[in-house]
Amino acid sequence: MKNIFVVLGAVIVFFILFPLVGMFFSVSPQELFEAAFDAEVTSSIFLTLRASLWATIAAIILGLPLAWVLVRLDFKGKKLIEGIIDIPVIIPHTAAGIALLSVWGRHSFFGRTTGISIIGTEIAISVAMFFVSVPFLINSLKSGLKLIDPKYEKVACTLGATPFKAFMTVTLPMLKRHLLSGSIMMWARGISEFGAVVVLAYHPMIAPVLIYDRYESFGLSHAKPVAVLLISVCLLIFTVLRIIGERSRYD
Amino acid sequence: MIKLSGISKNYENFSLKDISLEIQKGEYLVILGPSGSGKTLLLEITASLEKPHAGTVEGVDSSKIGFIYQDLMLFPHLSVFDNIAYGLKMRGMETSKIREKVLRCSKDLNIEALLDRSVKTLSGGEKQRVAIARAIVFEPELLLIDEPTASLDQKRKSEIHRIFRKIHKKTNATVIHVTHDFNEALSVADKIAVLNNGKLVQYGYPEEIFNTPADSFVADFVGYRNVYSGRIEENCFISGNIKIYLESENMEKAYIAIKAEDTIVSLDRIDSSAKNSFEGVITDVEKKLNGYTVVVNAGFEIHCAITASSFENMELSSGMKVFITFKSSAVMVFCH
Repeated sequence: MKNIFVVLGAVIVFFILFPLVGMFFSVSPQELFEAAFDAEVTSSIFLTLRASLWATIAAIILGLPLAWVLVRLDFKGKKLIEGIIDIPVIIPHTAAGIALLSVWGRHSFFGRTTGISIIGTEIAISVAMFFVSVPFLINSLKSGLKLIDPKYEKVACTLGATPFKAFMTVTLPMLKRHLLSGSIMMWARGISEFGAVVVLAYHPMIAPVLIYDRYESFGLSHAKPVAVLLISVCLLIFTVLRIIGERSRYD
Repeated sequence: MIKLSGISKNYENFSLKDISLEIQKGEYLVILGPSGSGKTLLLEITASLEKPHAGTVEGVDSSKIGFIYQDLMLFPHLSVFDNIAYGLKMRGMETSKIREKVLRCSKDLNIEALLDRSVKTLSGGEKQRVAIARAIVFEPELLLIDEPTASLDQKRKSEIHRIFRKIHKKTNATVIHVTHDFNEALSVADKIAVLNNGKLVQYGYPEEIFNTPADSFVADFVGYRNVYSGRIEENCFISGNIKIYLESENMEKAYIAIKAEDTIVSLDRIDSSAKNSFEGVITDVEKKLNGYTVVVNAGFEIHCAITASSFENMELSSGMKVFITFKSSAVMVFCH
């Protein structure tokens, strides 16, 4: 049985790895070099990383309290809220983009009353990324919080901490690893988003949109170097973050 | 004085029912009860960590409470030093003063060598001391202790009891200490409150609780029936006219306990190696599931357990003259 399971498991690993490796080898170093010095490419990669980072930071600030409420408090409708948080994961992301447009668009209530439109801005990109990737952070924080005995906060309170201080000095440091891994997951998910972003902001172009744009306008050979560059940058960053995360686990 | 009045709190599977207690300043109160009797909850209500559904707590300044939890709950992400210093930091004390206090307290508890260690690497007994240090370093007026020795062996237990007595003597803090272990209660308590099913069933001095249990639950739960307080001099326990031979170092104040099962009742004086033999009169007879308990006045009241067949053979009844015999090794001593 062991052998059969190993072989079946290997199919998945190769299924993921094969196209990626194939793409890497089909791009010449020169093409990659050119892409790396193409201002449009680099600025779109930076934009992607940045927009997803804003979304992640906002999600940490709002998500920590939400996760705490969902794990520590008992109230009616908790299951419903947990279900709502998972919605972005299960709906098509273009549909998510359309839904966001109806709230944040020019002709939405928000747009008409304030006269402000975020469509086609970096903010719109962050909003779209936030929407589709925030469940990853919330769920990671929730599973982390569930592992931390609420008594630690009580003990901190008996030692003179306010409940907020107890959270900041005891729970948060103990949650560090889940916070880090959840943030990485969310950030990565934000960077790879296409569907929702393309509806809210085709321009400025984030890297996934740029790849699609080049593929549509100039064909495969122009899209590939950008794709390889984006993947390389992401892999590098996430490897470094993983190493940092592993270290914090053992210190 | 701390005053709990009519404390009630209902949970799905257990509740506290109308508990009223008065604890004098500087008193060491042990709340004794089986697990699931609501002891921890009562402590948390006293510390205002939980709100009761009814009743009030008076005389507690929640900023001057030290709380030692059963599972200790040392902060795993902090060093021993930072664990102990936590309460001082939260009080906004200067760093140099914090250092001084942590050092002094850890010296008292013999853990100064551990200060730089991570709490994850400590042994059970070491963790216990760190948790104690963390709770007393800011000199609380009220110390709440929850089942502190549940996970320790007998030797470590006695050590921790000694520490608590020392702290109590030195700081004169009021202590409320929760346990299911009546040996522990006898080792530290000024007064004992017995809790069962969320209800306060008896409250009084240790001798009262053990010798005149309020009901059969208390009697069964506390186990001993013959508890006396007095002093120990030259392997002899002395309290008023009572003189009982035992083996122990001298103590100014001690409780001794003799299990009712460890006594022998006879109609004539027995010549034996047992050092303690008293003549007395039966004052009461209690029928038990597996025999009888005979209460004898031998200058002091002593409960003796005998089997049904012996009871019938000897035709015992109230008013009869009998002899009570027990070995000096049957006397348990609790230093106080």
